[in-house]
Amino acid sequence: MTTARTFYWMVIPALVLFLIFHTLPVLQGFYYSLTDYPGYGAYEFVGFRNYASLFQDDRILDAYLFTFQFAVVATVLTNAIALAIALGLNARIRFRTTLRGIFFIPNVLAILIVGYIFNYLFANSLPAIAEALGITALSTNILVNPDLAWLGIVLVATWQAVAFNIIIYLAGLQTIPGDVREAATVDGAGSWRQFRSIVFPLIAPFFTINMVLSLKTFLQVFDHIVALTNGGPGTATTSVSLLIYTGGLEGGEYAYQTANAVVYFLVIVAVSVFQLRVLQRREMSA
Amino acid sequence: MKRTALVLTAVLLLSACGSGEPADDRVKLEFFQFKPEAIETFDRIIERFEAAHPGIDVTQNHSPVAESAIRARLVKNDIPDVIALNGNGVFGELASAGVFYDFAAMPGAAGVSPPIQRILDDLGVYRRGERNGLPFSSNASGVIYNKDLFRRHGVEVPTTWSQLVAAAETFRGAGVDPFYVTLADAWTTLPTFNALAANLSPPDFFTRREAGRTTFAEAYPPVAARLGELFGYGQRDRFSRTYDDGNQAFAKGEAAMYLQGSFALPAISGFEPDFDIGTFALPAGEDPSATRLVSGVDVALTMAREPEHPEESLAFVEHLMSPEVMAAYAEEQQAVPPTVDAVSDDPALAGLMPYFERGRLTGYADHHIPLTVPLEQFLQQYVIDGDQAGLLRRLDSEWDKVAARRS
Repeated sequence: MTTARTFYWMVIPALVLFLIFHTLPVLQGFYYSLTDYPGYGAYEFVGFRNYASLFQDDRILDAYLFTFQFAVVATVLTNAIALAIALGLNARIRFRTTLRGIFFIPNVLAILIVGYIFNYLFANSLPAIAEALGITALSTNILVNPDLAWLGIVLVATWQAVAFNIIIYLAGLQTIPGDVREAATVDGAGSWRQFRSIVFPLIAPFFTINMVLSLKTFLQVFDHIVALTNGGPGTATTSVSLLIYTGGLEGGEYAYQTANAVVYFLVIVAVSVFQLRVLQRREMSA
Repeated sequence: MKRTALVLTAVLLLSACGSGEPADDRVKLEFFQFKPEAIETFDRIIERFEAAHPGIDVTQNHSPVAESAIRARLVKNDIPDVIALNGNGVFGELASAGVFYDFAAMPGAAGVSPPIQRILDDLGVYRRGERNGLPFSSNASGVIYNKDLFRRHGVEVPTTWSQLVAAAETFRGAGVDPFYVTLADAWTTLPTFNALAANLSPPDFFTRREAGRTTFAEAYPPVAARLGELFGYGQRDRFSRTYDDGNQAFAKGEAAMYLQGSFALPAISGFEPDFDIGTFALPAGEDPSATRLVSGVDVALTMAREPEHPEESLAFVEHLMSPEVMAAYAEEQQAVPPTVDAVSDDPALAGLMPYFERGRLTGYADHHIPLTVPLEQFLQQYVIDGDQAGLLRRLDSEWDKVAARRS
């Protein structure tokens, strides 16, 4: 009885905070999305007009296309690289602990600061190096090229996100008992075969979690873009979150962009649920 | 034990509250302003005001992202007593929303030049006939030039479009970058856009556009074409340079001309250029007598609609709006006072003064375009890809969408 009460005390404060600071604002936002509120002053109730306008707005569609393209590429790259590095860091190599520490550093750096440093590298260092080496394709800042700017953002986002995914994969790799791999070695399985048939299936739950979390985080990409391109050149790298922020808080269309945020929230939930179900089914069958 | 800790905390908290400054019965005013380069100037103005009004204590508050900051304050209904904002589209939207004071009855606004007050009122007021802001200083958008480079290459100040292009060609031929262009900051396309739009598009364009009787595609091709042409004369790395880079590079003499407003002059002077700076109005057409100078309200003063300390706040606004204070501010900030007999003896502004004297002024065209239309991003994209038809089509479609959403 007393233990149960202790557990309630552990859960309820957090629940209350969550409801006050998360759920309540979400409901408030939903209410404002049904008005023409510019963020201040008077407003009127307009029903679902904002939602109807959303679906006819090609800027919103462009932002969705850019964000999904970015998120899918960044998720795949992040997970492939993180898994490869985690395998290396899990092997018996020298300076293993030091290297694990080094690879974790990007995760503790603020994205904005990392972004501004990369911005400088893209604007000044990279063109200078490329020019010295005679690579004309890279001798101008890629962030000011509407066709290439998104790759710069993918690079920074991946560089930063890999660190956290490595940790999760490392944790997963450590759950594999040593004797399983020994038995496989005795049976004559090569390293690729071992990875495909033993290691990967055993860390499948970690793969699922990493894929879902990465995609969700990348779909909400904001800081990277603010630091690198601010949505430009033109509107080439405007993500949905950035559009919600600029249109809602700087463009004076708070209610309209709140409607966009509500829709985007539902989209992210749907994508995550879909992804979880597909990947978990794969875990079972593997 | 637990109780002791609680009591101790309570005592500490109480004593922390009690040990403030000695009681001060002066009325405290918050002055919110948006210009980081004018902090010291305003500090001196406040000092003089406080000396004359011992019962009032004014605190200056400034934010590098003033427009977002003021919006956040408005949402919380925590409005500063006296507010100084740039007279732009944001100011107009806030004024139309009815959050600012109505100065229509205030006699102190009499010294302000009527065309300049009209530029501010045109941005938006809550109800017809209201006056929701007072112009404190004016700026002008034209061309800033390096007098030494002009002299060295024998170039006269251009007064027509073809002379401007010829000057750019002369500099390019001599290996000097004609313009320093800073496209990494998309907004730096706007001063040029405004100057061209004011001189090359029909004066009633925006009224007709609202009524659906014209389009950007119909009326704006000359504006877009000349904008693209001018920016093509920029330096090689023009796409990756920012406004701050531009001020510094121009001060170092890296280009002959700089397409910026007079508000960039204090920043350029900060880098201590070793040459004389001049300004001229951008000649958009072939008739020099038709050229009009784009001028806006650089600093507009306003107050909360229902001020907490109406008397004291008004006293501070009146102090700011006195001719001496406006003139002193304009001199320090290389701006033009918005008074009827506006003069500035700043040599860098001499090229623009005839336009002020003869009232050949016009407002910023971009202030008529809803803020949610990403005009500067579209212009930036156009200058990079050169797709003029695409630019005008996007402007028309955004305009129509916003109009449909707001109808």
